[in-house]
Amino acid sequence: MTVATQIDDVSFAHSGGDTRALKRVSLSVQAGEIVALLGPSGAGKTTFLTLLDGRLRDWRGRVSVFGAPLDPDHPPPRARRPDTGFVFQEFALVERSTVLRNVLNGRLGRMSPLRAVLGSPTAHDRRVARDALADCGIADLAHRRVDSLSGGQRQRVAIARCLAQEPRLILADEPVSSLDPTRAAEILALLTESARARGATVLFSSHQPDLARRFAQRIVGLRAGRIAFDVPTSELSEAATADLYRDVAQMPEIGLRAVT
Amino acid sequence: MRTRGFGSFAAATLVAGAILWSFATTDVEMARLVSAGPRIADFLGRMFPPDPTIMDEILKGSAETLRIAVLGTLGAVLLSVPLGLLASETMAAPAFFRPIRTLLAIIRAVPLILVAMLMVGAVGLGPLPGIIAIAFHATGMLAKFYAEAIDGVSRAPLAALESAGAGPLARLRYAIWPQMAPVVARDTIFRFELNLRESLILGIVGAGGIGFYIQTYVRSFQYDKAASVTLAVVAMVIAIEGVNVWLRRRFS
Repeated sequence: MTVATQIDDVSFAHSGGDTRALKRVSLSVQAGEIVALLGPSGAGKTTFLTLLDGRLRDWRGRVSVFGAPLDPDHPPPRARRPDTGFVFQEFALVERSTVLRNVLNGRLGRMSPLRAVLGSPTAHDRRVARDALADCGIADLAHRRVDSLSGGQRQRVAIARCLAQEPRLILADEPVSSLDPTRAAEILALLTESARARGATVLFSSHQPDLARRFAQRIVGLRAGRIAFDVPTSELSEAATADLYRDVAQMPEIGLRAVT
Repeated sequence: MRTRGFGSFAAATLVAGAILWSFATTDVEMARLVSAGPRIADFLGRMFPPDPTIMDEILKGSAETLRIAVLGTLGAVLLSVPLGLLASETMAAPAFFRPIRTLLAIIRAVPLILVAMLMVGAVGLGPLPGIIAIAFHATGMLAKFYAEAIDGVSRAPLAALESAGAGPLARLRYAIWPQMAPVVARDTIFRFELNLRESLILGIVGAGGIGFYIQTYVRSFQYDKAASVTLAVVAMVIAIEGVNVWLRRRFS
């Protein structure tokens, strides 16, 4: 089996020295796996995913994505960046552009730099974008401006943009935490099913244990920058989950936000 | 808290001091202010009725002022696009944007009328020195606005395009430009309005436009003609403001 990403002894500290740091994290994810990264706010989930996406500097340890090492001092070469797709919590769409334009933006890394700047996607680029829109159920919204869409529709656009990249590894940072429960389940189903259909690996973070159980085969618990557990979904115990939120549960306001 | 209390006390003292100093050292004779009433009435009397026979001069002068403002704004936009990019934190390295910002601050500090006088000396009378002066002066503000528009965009879509592998120019075109376009349109229209107002007075120093007629008629005591020119100027400014409001509504 191919290894999608291999992480060995990775540590990172923000210059501010706040939480969200990573402490000696090691993890191996096989190609095609769907893994949930579970943990309370501030556990380091976003930091970890941003690092894997090649957008973090000055960390220590060894990371490789599909056999190619990540360099803590330099961003990954342009040609390799589309291999890793990223879905953002707050969608990160260009609000004044159309849905189709946003999805085509996912193709920019697959085009030659000149073609990208001139804005002339090939017929293949357009077809991939159209397919991604259709898979996400928003083909009819292609020419709408993003700022006229609802939250659930926006995250569909963001997933379509990510799929248009033709990524082999999809990183999703709290992709549904700004959506209502029904919408959240719909979006996670869409993300995991379309990834499965494409043979892509998924690593999504969530602070909601029920969503992690429902959509992941494997759950990695992250607590204060360390891996607390790493188990197949069927083996996740209530006690392990409760332990993950032990500290935040003692602080009522944060605890409420973390488990609702 | 103590330092803050002292700070406001010091500021209040400074303001009071500045006002007292200005009064004490300037010849403010209240008697002159009182006797000015009849004289102002006399001026206004001589301005009425405005002389409508100089329509040709008014149209010629207004058209030239408008041309100076349009071409001066065009020049400022052409200069501000590269300078704005170089002055933005998002697109340029600190080694570029810091000195460029200082340069823009210096340009803004040079009064327009001074630039216009220097340009009249350099290239002679007419609209050309006015256009150059406006382009130069407006660039100090417009390039700064453009840089702020670039730096004011939401960072998340930029990160998304970076993650997808888009290069810096593709990011500028597809993540930054769509976000900053309405700001750029608004700032440019605003600057055009300022340029038009400021170019009205350029004629006084010989740099072309309707200001030339204001100066001529006031100096030769033809107040009725000066009144006609003034009315034309007011009408022009109001018209441009109207167009400005309409354009701003369209670009949002």
